[in-house]
Amino acid sequence: MAQTLKTAGYSTVGLTIPTGLLPERVKSIRQTFQEQGIATALRIDLGSTSRTELLRSLRRFRNIYDVVGVKCVNARVATVASRDRRVDVLFFDPVMHNVRFNHSLARLLHGALEVNLIASLLTLTDTGILFRLRKAIAVAREHNVKVVLSSGARNAEMVRAPLQLSAIASTLGLSETASVAGVSTIPLSIITENVKKRKPENVEEGVKIIVSSRR
Amino acid sequence: MARRYLLVKILYGRALTDQQFHDALNASVRTHFGDIGFARIDPRMIKSDQTTSTSIVSCERSAVRELESALALITDCEGASMAVLVLAVSGTIKGLRKRRVR
Repeated sequence: MAQTLKTAGYSTVGLTIPTGLLPERVKSIRQTFQEQGIATALRIDLGSTSRTELLRSLRRFRNIYDVVGVKCVNARVATVASRDRRVDVLFFDPVMHNVRFNHSLARLLHGALEVNLIASLLTLTDTGILFRLRKAIAVAREHNVKVVLSSGARNAEMVRAPLQLSAIASTLGLSETASVAGVSTIPLSIITENVKKRKPENVEEGVKIIVSSRR
Repeated sequence: MARRYLLVKILYGRALTDQQFHDALNASVRTHFGDIGFARIDPRMIKSDQTTSTSIVSCERSAVRELESALALITDCEGASMAVLVLAVSGTIKGLRKRRVR
């Protein structure tokens, strides 16, 4: 898969790691990608079903992972995740019809909306999925919400080139600039911001320890 | 009419004939953009290289994004899963060759 990603032209990828995985195993996975010249960012997808569970998970995992994504399984979780600044990306399961990205969530959203294009389009072949993706993109566009485009690939066959992802998004209604930013500058800025925040000299937002060079 | 040329890499478990890829490409364009979209995009397979699993396809200049998405949405060919990656886009075949060498 790392080789396919390299061929497709990726320089950095977000790896969704299960919480119980041994650090040695994580290190070896990252090593595999590094050998191909691909930088990796560790990512966790929280699939909490209640507000308390989500807040507990955020407290526990925020400082461990580079990117925190929340899968919105119900409206309550979606609202809490939209408001919380610790959440980087919010995404919706295309199979779940009970919760969708709507105007009220777009107004609350601090992070970015993630659209798993290939995973969504491969799992569901009905036209309903295209309609739902179009609708979510239209809402995001109306409220100037940042959109991160992802393939959601679980194997090499699901990998697509970044330009192809942006092409699908622009076909679905996202502007040309936003669709290119969705595979380049937006995800990269999320990772760099979080890496900066996780450095030991960072105390909190806007406060960091400055070590004198004349010591 | 000006055209754009795309260098694509085909990821497929078995050996794929030119005709099979041509059919898969046309089917994807027709499914996602319809007959009118097919006429507007006007996809054509120029040549393919079995050893590197790459092909050159062309389309109308204004419809590159549509062809890129149609190629991304190709998922299978005769029952086996398949993926098509766009490696480069150029206005000339010579330009694509240069990029492939790079």
